[in-house]
Amino acid sequence: MNVLPGYLIDFRQIERKPARQFPRFGPPLHDVLELLFVGIMASRGLLLMGQCMPCIKQNASKIRIRRMQLDKNLNMYFKKDEFYFAHDPQKVCKTGDVVLIRELPERLTRLITHAVEKVVYPLGDITDPLTGKKVVVGQYREDIEMANQLFGKSAKAFDYDKAPPRGRLEGTKDFTHGETYIKYHEDGKDQPFAV
Amino acid sequence: MNKLLNVAQAVPRQFVREYAFKSDLKIKWVRPEKIACYKPEKSGDLSKLPPLKGDELLPEFRDCKELEKADDTVKSLFLLSNNANYLTTKHYRDEMVKEVQRHAQDYGSIEAKLANMTALIRRYQERMESHPRDKMIKVRLKELIDKRKKFLKYLRRWDYPRFEWMLEKLDLVYKPPPERFHWITRKESLQKLTDSYCENLKEERLEAYHKQLQAQQIPFLEEAIKKMEFVRNEQISCDVPVTVTEEQIADSRRQLAQLKELREAEETAKSRKQDEDSFN
Repeated sequence: MNVLPGYLIDFRQIERKPARQFPRFGPPLHDVLELLFVGIMASRGLLLMGQCMPCIKQNASKIRIRRMQLDKNLNMYFKKDEFYFAHDPQKVCKTGDVVLIRELPERLTRLITHAVEKVVYPLGDITDPLTGKKVVVGQYREDIEMANQLFGKSAKAFDYDKAPPRGRLEGTKDFTHGETYIKYHEDGKDQPFAV
Repeated sequence: MNKLLNVAQAVPRQFVREYAFKSDLKIKWVRPEKIACYKPEKSGDLSKLPPLKGDELLPEFRDCKELEKADDTVKSLFLLSNNANYLTTKHYRDEMVKEVQRHAQDYGSIEAKLANMTALIRRYQERMESHPRDKMIKVRLKELIDKRKKFLKYLRRWDYPRFEWMLEKLDLVYKPPPERFHWITRKESLQKLTDSYCENLKEERLEAYHKQLQAQQIPFLEEAIKKMEFVRNEQISCDVPVTVTEEQIADSRRQLAQLKELREAEETAKSRKQDEDSFN
């Protein structure tokens, strides 16, 4: 038999890491802890905070829970999304709202495992938790209004008091309540969510 | 060894064509026509700029008293339509900004910016209609449309009531970008169409089966009531312990009455709908 060069022998001795989709034997400690944590959560019905995503299911909202996951190879954290369907017959939460969901004692349907507890931050209608005032990006609405008054507010300008609640343009001008897709078929009908 | 393998492979088995599989469903796919990115259908502009009035003067000379006395030839020199193109554009921009600005000096707020861009976009779109090969304008137009879309995205996140108000004021449509980009291919489109076809078929059949079961409900209950009464009478007459109570029979009767009411209501609703349809 021929003697293999040294570097080749070394290469063969290195243990290959199993691919990610296969179950690993002897999972690392923090994976076990995470599993335990999830298990405890299910039994207690703990709260989760996430963002509402567009959803076509009736009586339910799709909630995205975003966590950071450590990639040990790169030693960097990456976003990892989990999606839950929360029971929401009145459609309290709209796309983009930050909501609290609570795990149900037993799942309602095959998909619905949680219920919407509370809308914490409606999208684009933020109240500062410390002062209780409404906020736009880095300023209070009051301050913006005051500046406008000082400059002489225009009669045609936008007024918060006259603004109706969110959702009146759904399906006519604002299509954020559903998922859009790239148009792939021409069937002669109107496809509002096709881009 | 090789011979053995050949023998093993020669066993006749069912021929399944896995590659280039062709479905025998009669689904016709029509490729959607490409719409240029600068067209109003894509950019989300629902209305066009209002046509220029014939007697619009340059903004600096609107309150000029000398000009009122001047004769028509001199006046026509100060008309917007007889002056440089950019002045008309500026006029449109100012008009649009004035509709949404917070105060008379406001040209920098997000509303003013959006109005400004919208006026410019619509002006450029007019230009593209008459001069489709103007590459310079096309590039600027595309950049402006993308930028406006980005600003609308921000505004939606910051201030939802204002975002909706802006959409109404500027007559725009906002559609969020799709989750992932992909080219439209025949194969993938056909797969999607087939999926939706199968889904519809499943729904239809389930619905039909549901109807069939519903049709059996009333006869079944009638039969059940009859049998229960018969059994009860027999048990009483034969002096055997009675297992069927009056309550059970009454329960079934109530159920039957409810069902009949429900069906009647459905029938009347359906006939009314048909009448309306035929009337229309």
